Amino acid sequence: MSEILVLVDKAQDTVRNVTYEVLAAALKLKEKNGASISAVYIGDNAGSIESDLGKYGADKVYKIENPSLKDFNPSLYAHALSELVNKVNADIILGGNTLQNQDFLPRVASKTKGGLTTDAIDIDLTSSSTLQVKRYKYSGKSIATLSYHDVKPMIATIRLNAYKPVEAGAAGEAVSESIDIPADDNFKVIETNIIPKERPELTEADKIVSGGRGMANGENFKLCYDLADSVGAGAGASRAAVDSGWVPYEMQVGQTGKVVSPNLYIAVGISGSVQHYAGMGSSKVIVAINKDPDAPIFQKCDYGICGDLFDVLPALTDEIKKLG
Amino acid sequence: MKILVIVRQTPDTEAKIQTNSAGNGIQTDDIKWILNPFDEFAVEEAVQIKEKSNAEVVVLTVGSDKAVDAIRTALAMGGDSGVHIKDDAFADMDTYALAKVIGAKIKALGDIDLILAGKKWIDEESSQVPLQVAEELSIPQATLASKVEVDEGSKTAKVTSVIEGGERIIELKLPALITVEQGINEPRYASLPGIMKAKKKPCEEVGKGDINGDEIGISEGELGIDGSRYKNDAIEIPTITRSLKVIDGNDVQQASSELAKLLREEAKII
Ligand SMILES: Cc1cc2nc3c(=O)[nH]c(=O)nc-3n(C[C@H](O)[C@H](O)[C@H](O)COP(=O)(O)OP(=O)(O)OC[C@H]3O[C@@H](n4cnc5c(N)ncnc54)[C@H](O)[C@@H]3O)c2cc1C
Ligand SMILES: Nc1ncnc2c1ncn2[C@@H]1O[C@H](COP(=O)(O)O)[C@@H](O)[C@H]1O
Repeated sequence: MSEILVLVDKAQDTVRNVTYEVLAAALKLKEKNGASISAVYIGDNAGSIESDLGKYGADKVYKIENPSLKDFNPSLYAHALSELVNKVNADIILGGNTLQNQDFLPRVASKTKGGLTTDAIDIDLTSSSTLQVKRYKYSGKSIATLSYHDVKPMIATIRLNAYKPVEAGAAGEAVSESIDIPADDNFKVIETNIIPKERPELTEADKIVSGGRGMANGENFKLCYDLADSVGAGAGASRAAVDSGWVPYEMQVGQTGKVVSPNLYIAVGISGSVQHYAGMGSSKVIVAINKDPDAPIFQKCDYGICGDLFDVLPALTDEIKKLG
Repeated sequence: MKILVIVRQTPDTEAKIQTNSAGNGIQTDDIKWILNPFDEFAVEEAVQIKEKSNAEVVVLTVGSDKAVDAIRTALAMGGDSGVHIKDDAFADMDTYALAKVIGAKIKALGDIDLILAGKKWIDEESSQVPLQVAEELSIPQATLASKVEVDEGSKTAKVTSVIEGGERIIELKLPALITVEQGINEPRYASLPGIMKAKKKPCEEVGKGDINGDEIGISEGELGIDGSRYKNDAIEIPTITRSLKVIDGNDVQQASSELAKLLREEAKII
């Protein structure tokens, strides 16, 4: 029977939610062609992840563990996954559209002569069991449907928050795969700095509050952060706010910033340019706060308040806190 | 030292787009084309390295006749020469096939120490071509560089890369491929004299017959669109359908309480 491989994303001791989202996408395919789902861990220490992965749909868990896989190295990770693909009957490989997966899956596609598409917002199988992928194209202005030619493996990364985890079954079975990892003298990690964050990472956040030029300066962003914290949201910004130096580039949402897909996106003092929308248009609910009734964002939102953000933000934060 | 920058032309991001009659692409007749904004950072980085050492900067693109403008823009910014790979057989290839063609040409060039690329093509946002080129050439890579320091003596590059939740510093042995994060530098505008000079800089034209697929293990038949792994079935331009419930904010308290309620009870989101 053919297998769908799902890449495990693990941070410290926990499997990250994106893995369960991708398992949900895999379950959708499994319903159609009955393939089994195998989660794949690549790293130096898997721990006992099979019960959690099993609960969300993994029939099996491959563990490729090796001390030299401790630091992510795209060539070695590509080698490890490609060797596994050669051993098992994997037609399809799915992973979250994380930076790490984007970094090594292109090499896997080249090594295995497979095909890769990234950042799918939906996947499906055609009647001939070919993978079909929907993704944004042309600066987020259109949605393309792509299907694979007769190639294997068919590899896709899936936009974060595009699927909801589904509880599906029992504990998966763990299989340790021993794969020789060659030495790599060409790539050396000298230092890794994880910068602790006060708020959820934008690409994973369930809710986001972003501020734009209307914030007028960096200090005023505190008003956005207060609203964000009242609902446990991440904090983002438009390019105008980033270019003005009020907030760091890593907060930029849009075509040349981060592409996000939260359940709730609150745009504060943001006009709603095509380029900003390209980065947040797939949010489930969009809320706009703007004082200009003609701001384009009011043609692209679900809810909005037309008013001065300096009045609205504190009042809205209060009202939300009141709801508890 | 020789640096190669791979660049791509792209429709102006301000352009309104319409689907073509086949429904699997866009109408491109009246569109203004520009150098992919992300690639400007790669060109600038190459030119800055050149200014510090005495590197030579070659700019390569795969694209139709008009794509030469992307090369000229990069040459006007300070590149030394261009390689324009163009052939009807190379139109509409996917990233896999593109990387094969680019990889084969780079092998033929032979003496490249560093390859720089943009983080993604703004149209497709696939971010695959450079990394697949690195794989074809079996060289190390670093992505989303926010800083690049080349040491010609030890033939290494020290790269600061953006990763999830932070950054890391990597040392690569050259030859290597690096994609750059936007904001790594301030791309210069091409000056008028720069543009004039660029017109006289050499640009090699390369056709399908000049590409040796054997170098990277691809058959003649697969060199081109038949080497693609997937195809576009359809393109749709989504219409924005949102509920557009905008509340007048004259009475802030009232408006805020109404919005909070809508988010709780109607959208069920907070
Ligand atoms: C190639 C390219 C890529 C780009 N990429 C991005 C990108 O990734 N992300 C991005 O965001 N932009 C991007 N842009 C820029 C984009 O075109 C817009 O310029 C930018 O999004 C505008 O940001 P803004 O909405 O904050 O500012 P503005 O357009 O100036 O809007 C500010 C809004 O705030 C409102 N406002 C002002 N004061 C108040 C107040 N007191 N109370 C309430 N409302 C108030 C105003 O009515 C106005 O609508 C890109 C542009 C290009 C050309
Ligand atoms: N046709 C092409 N010719 C040369 N370089 C390209 C081409 N397409 C993509 N690239 C390079 O690869 C980067 C990423 O493109 P992509 O993988 O399509 O998102 C671009 O920023 C360019 O540096």
